[in-house]
Amino acid sequence: MNKLKLGLNRFLEVQSSDPDDARQRRTLNTILAFMGSLGFVASILALALVISGVMPSHDAPAILTASFSLLGGSIIIYLINRYGSGVIAGTLFILLVMFAIFFADTPFELSKGRSVYLFLLPIIISSFLLGSRSTFIFYILSTIELGIVSIIAGGQIYSPIFAYVAFFIVAFISWLSSRSLESALKDLRTTNLNLDNLVEQKTQELATTLSRELILSGRNQAILNSIADGVIVFDENNIAILANPALSQLTELPIHTMVNQDINYFAQNKSLSHIEQGMLSELLENPRKSATGMRINWGNKTLSTSIARVRDTENKYIGTVAVFRDVTHEAELEKMKDTFMGIVSHELRTPLNAILGYAEMFKEGVYGPISEKQQSISTRIMTNTERLLTIVSDLLDQAQIQSGKLKIQMAPCMPIELLDGVHSVMDRIASEKGIDFVTELDPAIPTVVMGDPQRLQQIAVNLANNAVKFTDKGSVCVKISMPDKNNWQIQTIDTGNGIPKEALEYIFESFRQVDEANTREHGGVGLGLSIVKQLTELMKGKVSVESEVGKGSIFTVTLPLIMQGIITQPLKINTQE
Amino acid sequence: MNENLALIIEDDEDLSEIFGQALSAAGYEIEIIRDGQSAQDRLKLVEPKVITLDMHIPHIPGDVLLKEIRADKRLVKTRVVVTTADAQMAERVRPMADLVLIKPITFSQLRDLTARLHQSK
Repeated sequence: MNKLKLGLNRFLEVQSSDPDDARQRRTLNTILAFMGSLGFVASILALALVISGVMPSHDAPAILTASFSLLGGSIIIYLINRYGSGVIAGTLFILLVMFAIFFADTPFELSKGRSVYLFLLPIIISSFLLGSRSTFIFYILSTIELGIVSIIAGGQIYSPIFAYVAFFIVAFISWLSSRSLESALKDLRTTNLNLDNLVEQKTQELATTLSRELILSGRNQAILNSIADGVIVFDENNIAILANPALSQLTELPIHTMVNQDINYFAQNKSLSHIEQGMLSELLENPRKSATGMRINWGNKTLSTSIARVRDTENKYIGTVAVFRDVTHEAELEKMKDTFMGIVSHELRTPLNAILGYAEMFKEGVYGPISEKQQSISTRIMTNTERLLTIVSDLLDQAQIQSGKLKIQMAPCMPIELLDGVHSVMDRIASEKGIDFVTELDPAIPTVVMGDPQRLQQIAVNLANNAVKFTDKGSVCVKISMPDKNNWQIQTIDTGNGIPKEALEYIFESFRQVDEANTREHGGVGLGLSIVKQLTELMKGKVSVESEVGKGSIFTVTLPLIMQGIITQPLKINTQE
Repeated sequence: MNENLALIIEDDEDLSEIFGQALSAAGYEIEIIRDGQSAQDRLKLVEPKVITLDMHIPHIPGDVLLKEIRADKRLVKTRVVVTTADAQMAERVRPMADLVLIKPITFSQLRDLTARLHQSK
């Protein structure tokens, strides 16, 4: 059935670049097919009638001619229509119809009677076979034919005047409908064309975008491949979807063995210790910002990790990205630095300690009486050695604080002992400068507070030392008090040079001093206050300064008052003299 | 108990001299020991009132010695002053020591502090 339909379609179809032409020619083919079939049946029937002798012999030639003309005409016009010109075929066909009309009835009936309407046929057929404008041409041809028939019938040329008018109306209507059909089809074609263009344009755009994406993803891959850090990406189901060659190199795992495996496969690697395996698994599943820079030892390499959740533009969790940096060299250097620091710490302090001790003993007369000049020289040796020791200690402390290795050891400590300690260190230095050094203890403060005794001493001595250094006359007071029930304070109050306002902002920064002339005069490397600030902060405290140039400065270290743990450790040394 | 005996366990010649002088000045009878093994042997025989103990000494480390001293019932009254340049080590042994002094330690500092120990019976 479908094959028949296809065959029929192919029989009726005409190839033409003009869609209007193709449509008209297809319509003509349909009509011709119908007419040809009719002619074929008629010819067979006529032949049968003639042969059987049913048809009178004088009628036979006319009927046979008509039947075969119908069949032959249809075939000829079809061939012209299919392989030649549609316009010629259409015109020929309509002319054939007009010719047929001429013999369709008696001249009287054709011009005045029942068959007048036949002259409408060429007009209507032309409107859909040859286009709107041809309706008027065939109107004229039809009226001419009707006029001739009218004369033959014995009438005047103008006798069928009403038919002329009526035909014109029909021609006009046909022209209108044909024209509107044409323009509707034209619109449709324009719309289709626009649609086609749009589709083509969109396809082009899509292709461009796709190729751009392809280039981009290729570029991203290239970037990822050339990055020196190891990168692995897990999707939201914790399956590795991507790993770069650097990671493969760091972990000595081929990329294909890492991709498509879950987090545990990656984290539970034998090159890691059990604790590190656990830590890495946990971090990959729940990345924490605070863990950035965490180090793991992967085989003989030290890797610094940075693990973060990946979120899309709508903040939806889509996976985890982990970056591993080889810090083996840095870790080795740090270890060397630590060892070096330890050596420096020991090897520098020990001989300096000896110099200090001998000078002091010399001065104290342990080795026999000495002259005043010798005593003053001993003092100078001591002062300079202490200065050197302070610088060494400050540098080592700074290094320890910076590397996060300095730990605060909370223990019970007595404020009075702290003041005693500062006094014993500073009294001599202050009196040598001719200024008073006093300590003051607020009776409200508990006898014992929690803190790191050594670091508190360091803070107090650093502040006091600084105050004495910059005070030429008057006094330096170290005061321990309680500003409120939750805090306690160590303050140094001096009557020294004061600090200019602009300098207050930076005096707690490392290696900063108020001005260079001061540095040369007073010595030091500018770490004292920076260490005070950092130590105070390590003990969860705050340091502040108030100062007026020419009048003096007050440095205040405020620390939280912690009472827990005090009873459990009795004091071992009686400091009361 | 040797009422006035102070053992100075310190391998540095100069420091042992200074510590010795300081403890002498504080009123002690002093004995200087340069290494861990000798100290261990000597402590089997004497019950000093005060020991200044350096952490980095040959043969037996100071912290090991400190543990032994603390475990020895005979030495329960002995006051141990740890002397070290290593602040981290100082913090580790602080709970076991009577006093921890971080180098540099001055003559007068040691003299005055041990004098206090001498007075408190």
